[in-house]
Amino acid sequence: MILLLERAAAEAPDHPAVVTGEGTTTYGELRTAARRVAGGLVAQGVTRFAMVEPDATRIVQLLAGAALVGSEPCQYQADMAPAEFAAQAESLGHDVVVTRRTDLEGPFRVIDPDELAGAEPDTRPGPGEAQPLLIRTTGTTGVPKAARHDWSILGRTVATVSPRPQQRWLLAYGPHQFAGLQVIQHVLASRATLVAPFPRQPRDGVDALLTEGVTCVSATPTYWRFLLAEARSRGVALPALEQATLGGEASPADLLEELRATFPGVRVSQVYASTEFGSVASVRDGRPGLDAAVLHGEANPTSHLRVHDGELWVRAGAGMLGYADASTEAADPADADGEWRRTGDLVEVVDGRVLFRGRTSEVINVGGVKVHPLPVEERISALDSVAAARVFGRANRLTGAIVAVEVVPLGGADDADLDRLREQIRDAVADLPRAWQPRSVAFVDSIQTRGDKTVRRVEA
Amino acid sequence: MAVEKARAVIAEFLARAGKSSDDLSDETPLFGEGLALDSLEAAELSVMLEDVLGTDPFSSAEQLPQTVGDILAFYEVSSSA
Repeated sequence: MILLLERAAAEAPDHPAVVTGEGTTTYGELRTAARRVAGGLVAQGVTRFAMVEPDATRIVQLLAGAALVGSEPCQYQADMAPAEFAAQAESLGHDVVVTRRTDLEGPFRVIDPDELAGAEPDTRPGPGEAQPLLIRTTGTTGVPKAARHDWSILGRTVATVSPRPQQRWLLAYGPHQFAGLQVIQHVLASRATLVAPFPRQPRDGVDALLTEGVTCVSATPTYWRFLLAEARSRGVALPALEQATLGGEASPADLLEELRATFPGVRVSQVYASTEFGSVASVRDGRPGLDAAVLHGEANPTSHLRVHDGELWVRAGAGMLGYADASTEAADPADADGEWRRTGDLVEVVDGRVLFRGRTSEVINVGGVKVHPLPVEERISALDSVAAARVFGRANRLTGAIVAVEVVPLGGADDADLDRLREQIRDAVADLPRAWQPRSVAFVDSIQTRGDKTVRRVEA
Repeated sequence: MAVEKARAVIAEFLARAGKSSDDLSDETPLFGEGLALDSLEAAELSVMLEDVLGTDPFSSAEQLPQTVGDILAFYEVSSSA
C-alpha cells in the first residue's frame, strides 16, 4: 500500500489520486498526508487501531501511513451503530479508534484522523517487514471474524499492473471490504484515479459515471443491475466504459449481454475471490462462470480451486495469514480438508464452464423453484427418531440443484431402522411441493454447526 | 462390479419411489412410457448413483441416458477405462 503510493507519488505527484465529495487529492498530497499519519501513529504509540471513516481519501492516508510504520488498521462500516461498534471492537480487542464520529463511546481511545494527519511526517525510507491489516468478514451475524493480512502479500496481486493514468475507477464496494481494497490497490498500482462517492449506492454510481468521467467500474452483478436500472429510470444515456468487472455473485448471461449493449467496446472481467483467500481466479471472455481449465487437476496442479460434491472449494492464493482470534481457526473441520476450504458456492461444470448455482446457505433453486431450507429442516427435525437435520442445496445438472439433507438418527440405528426413518422423512415432507422434498438423504453421526460461512465471496 | 452396483442402486431407487421393477430390462426407457421419470426423480436417481459410484451418467455423459441399459453402459465404459 505505502510502496504503491510512494511509487505513484514519485512518478506523478500532481496526478489526481482520489476524488470524493470532499474534494480531489493528488498523489503527492496523499503521500505527504500518509507520512504525517505515520508520524502521528508513532507519536501516539498506536500499534493497532479500528477505523470508522467514510471518506476514501482519509482511508487511503490511514492505511498507507499505518503500513509505513507497521501499525495494524481494521476498518469498520462508516455508518455502524454505536452499540454494535462497541461490541465488535471489544471482541476484536480494539482499544484505539480513529474516527471523526463523536457518538462512539466505550473502553477505547478516540483519535480524529485529521489530528493524525497534522503530525510531523515520519521520514523512514520505507516500511518494515510487517505491514499488517485486519479485514473483517462482511455480513456476519453473531461473533465477527477478522482475517489477518499483510500488504506485502496482498500487493502481489497487482505486481504486474502497468500504469494507466487515464483510467478513473469508481469505488462501488465499501473500502472496508476485500473487494474495495483490491480496487484501491489496483488504482494506486496503475497510477489511475479513484472516484469514491459516499454513500456508495448504485444511484451515486450513476451520478459519478455522468459527472466524474469514470472509465472503469468493479462491482457485484446486483450493483450493476441496479445501476443500469437507475440509468434507465432516469432516462439517461451512460457514457462509454473501458472496463467492467463483476464479482461477488454469479454473473448471469443476460447481464453480461446488457453490459456489452450499454457500453459498446467495454472489456468485461469476472473475478472470483474471498476475504480469506484473496483473488483466486478471473476470466475475461465475457461468458458466465469460470473456465473449467482453472480447476485443480493433473493438468493444473497449482490451481486454487476445485469442485467437490457440487461445491467449490478453495485454497489460499494471496491469502490471509489467519484469523484475528486464533480460537476461530479450524473451528470447523467439516469445512476444511487439508489446505482446502469450502466456499459455500454451489457450482456445476457444464461444457467446460464452472457455473455458479447459488449458495449452500441460501435459498435452493430447484429447477426454478425457490426452496427455503428451514421448513424442510423443521419437519424432519421434528421426527422423534431424528436428533438433528441440516438441509442444503446440492448441485445437479438436471434441475440446477436438489434439496439434500443430512440426518443424525437418535441413538444407534441399524439398517432396518434407517429404512424406516427414510420413509418417515418422506412422509414428513409429503405436504410440501415436490421440488422441496429432499432427493438426497444422508445419515451421519453429527452435523457441524457452521453458522456463517468461514469463506465468503467478496471480490474486486 | 460397477455395473452390478448401478443395477442395485436403480432397484433401490425404484423401491423408494414406489415404482415396480418387475418388468425391468435393459431396454426399459427411463422416461415416457417406461419408468416415466420426471426431472426430480431423474435428479434423485443421479445423486443416488453418484453417492454409491462416485459419478453418474446424468451429470457426466454427453447425452442423457434414455434407457436402463444406457446407465449400465456408462459404468461399463467407466470401469473398463
